[in-house]
Amino acid sequence: MVSAEEPFLRIEGVSKSFGTFQAVKDVTLTVGKGEIFSLLGGSGCGKTTLLRMLAGFEEPTAGRIFLDGRDLAGVPPWDRPIHMMFQSYAIFPHMTVEANVAYGLKHEHGMDKAARAERVAAMLDLVQLTDFAKRKSHQISGGQRQRVALARALARQPKLLLLDEPLAALDKKLREHTQFELMSIQQRTGVTFIVVTHDQEEAMTLSDRIAVMDRGEVKQVGSPTDIYEYPVSRFVAGFIGSVNAFEATVLGHDGPHLRLEVPALGGAVLARDPLGVVVGQKVGLAVRPEKIRISKDRPEGVNVVAGQVKDLAYFGKDSLYRIAMPGGALVQAHAVNSSRGDEGVGVADWDDAVWLSFDPSAAIVLVD
Amino acid sequence: MSGGRLSRWFDRKGWTALLIGAPYLWLVLFFLLPFLIVVAMSVATKTPTAPPFSFGGEHPVVNLDAYGRVLTDGLYLRAFLTSITNALVAMILCLLIGYPMALGLTRVSKGWRNILLMLVILPFWTSFLLRVYAWMGMMGRNSWFNGLLTDSWNFLVPLDWAVRSVPMMHTNFAVVLVMVYTYLPFMILPLYASLERLDPVLDEAAMDLGSRPWQVFRDVTLPQSIPGIVAGGMLVFIPAAGELVIPSLVGNASSPMIGRLISDEFSSARDWPMASAVAVVLLVLMVVPTMLYSHFQAKSEGSK
Repeated sequence: MVSAEEPFLRIEGVSKSFGTFQAVKDVTLTVGKGEIFSLLGGSGCGKTTLLRMLAGFEEPTAGRIFLDGRDLAGVPPWDRPIHMMFQSYAIFPHMTVEANVAYGLKHEHGMDKAARAERVAAMLDLVQLTDFAKRKSHQISGGQRQRVALARALARQPKLLLLDEPLAALDKKLREHTQFELMSIQQRTGVTFIVVTHDQEEAMTLSDRIAVMDRGEVKQVGSPTDIYEYPVSRFVAGFIGSVNAFEATVLGHDGPHLRLEVPALGGAVLARDPLGVVVGQKVGLAVRPEKIRISKDRPEGVNVVAGQVKDLAYFGKDSLYRIAMPGGALVQAHAVNSSRGDEGVGVADWDDAVWLSFDPSAAIVLVD
Repeated sequence: MSGGRLSRWFDRKGWTALLIGAPYLWLVLFFLLPFLIVVAMSVATKTPTAPPFSFGGEHPVVNLDAYGRVLTDGLYLRAFLTSITNALVAMILCLLIGYPMALGLTRVSKGWRNILLMLVILPFWTSFLLRVYAWMGMMGRNSWFNGLLTDSWNFLVPLDWAVRSVPMMHTNFAVVLVMVYTYLPFMILPLYASLERLDPVLDEAAMDLGSRPWQVFRDVTLPQSIPGIVAGGMLVFIPAAGELVIPSLVGNASSPMIGRLISDEFSSARDWPMASAVAVVLLVLMVVPTMLYSHFQAKSEGSK
């Protein structure tokens, strides 16, 4: 979606220090028009600081930010075509829902009264709050407050909408529903969304692309599938979803694959070649639990290891197994409970000797 | 102890009633009862006896002469007008000075905030009378303060307007000045309390939606601090309107404030019914707007 010439939003080598603490370190990102882009990371990773620099509440210590070709350096928050949905929603408690939504419009000097009223009505309709227009913020629910904040931020038709943990304040059920609502509103309005979140599931379902951040740095940028299936570092692989990670040494190339010595698995395995690794290099090997097959009989093919079931958790539709390797390492494997055999639910039971296998394409080599 | 005699004795409903009743008892004994006595006195008739009033006898039981005089005698009307004007000006000045101070208190670091709050309260540690006397010294014709003001005035204005000293003592200016000085903390503290509760994220939200800092103040900070403004305003206006000591010490004797008048009627004129009538009118003037406000406030709370 990013055009080759000039990206819609360009963050160029942006850093931010507070005293000696560096909150954001040399971040370079581009975001395309109409994209939902997530900044994902734990607390203190710098995602909120980056968002506040986009909103204009903080000035970068170094680097520049361009929106639609315009350098935002020194532009105060009130002059930026960027609006924010705050984590606490920040609804003005002394105003009605309607007045909250209308608040930004009074700075649109070209707009007459009728046009303003029309826009407010359209926004309230968009978030389905028309019946609550005259209420105040303490008279509506948390979910409705979230929608007021969204309508208020969208009313001036910003070029960029910043959403700070948009769903964190909602309970689980409402969160799922709201997630889809956010996506549909984004599609209807076409506004570019930048979402800050610590919730990887939220980022995965909501975003077109994700930037994973850690300690002020961007670790990886990519689509949810890229990030999940092709993590480039141990941090990203571990942060998104669960993963079995092992230390490994590169033995050599084997056709399209890479041959690795993995002591924890008791031998050599084949893995996807990330290109650019040399023989003898120490790397990480990551395999997702759901990519590992469990069977009682030894399967055909490569990457087969023996183990013993140490632990199993039954979730109904699937089970999580913890399997002890000969070397002592524990491997997690997910199996769908598709059959109900006579011997009980699931493929194996406690203390059963089992075989684990995985495709070379499911084994990810982590250089960083 | 559970189920013991003592705890059962403490659990009795009587205690709850006493806890709720105590403040009311206090109000009845020390506010309502004295007030009723004052009201009763205000309709009595002045006599040269001791106490200097009586009901009935050769006089009517309910004598409204005092009220008649309050409403017709220019002296009283002027005194009410002076009191209300002085108190109003003092209240507005306290608001104008106190608001930025209270707002500043919410914006400084926690350590500074405690120090500055301490400084707001610190003057109360000295006797109020002593502080008024200090002002009298400062405003006098030969003080350094007056000299400073005189020199500045003479420097700024043409020669024809030059003065030997600024006449400050025994003017309404002096009364307002000392009242502002005295009552300023009563304005700052409730303002601070209401401003301190405001969420700074709301300011950012308004800025984000296109408001410049002064618009943020006008649209977000000011409307949310109205309860603090009203509370501070009442805490300054009500005692200032009935103030006795300040106008007696630094005020203009030819245009007395109402507190001075009540005191004079009571002691030198020994006209207790008259003093009581003036006090009742003052109380009504103060209480009615307060009641209207709390009624209005309760209504808007009720609609929440």
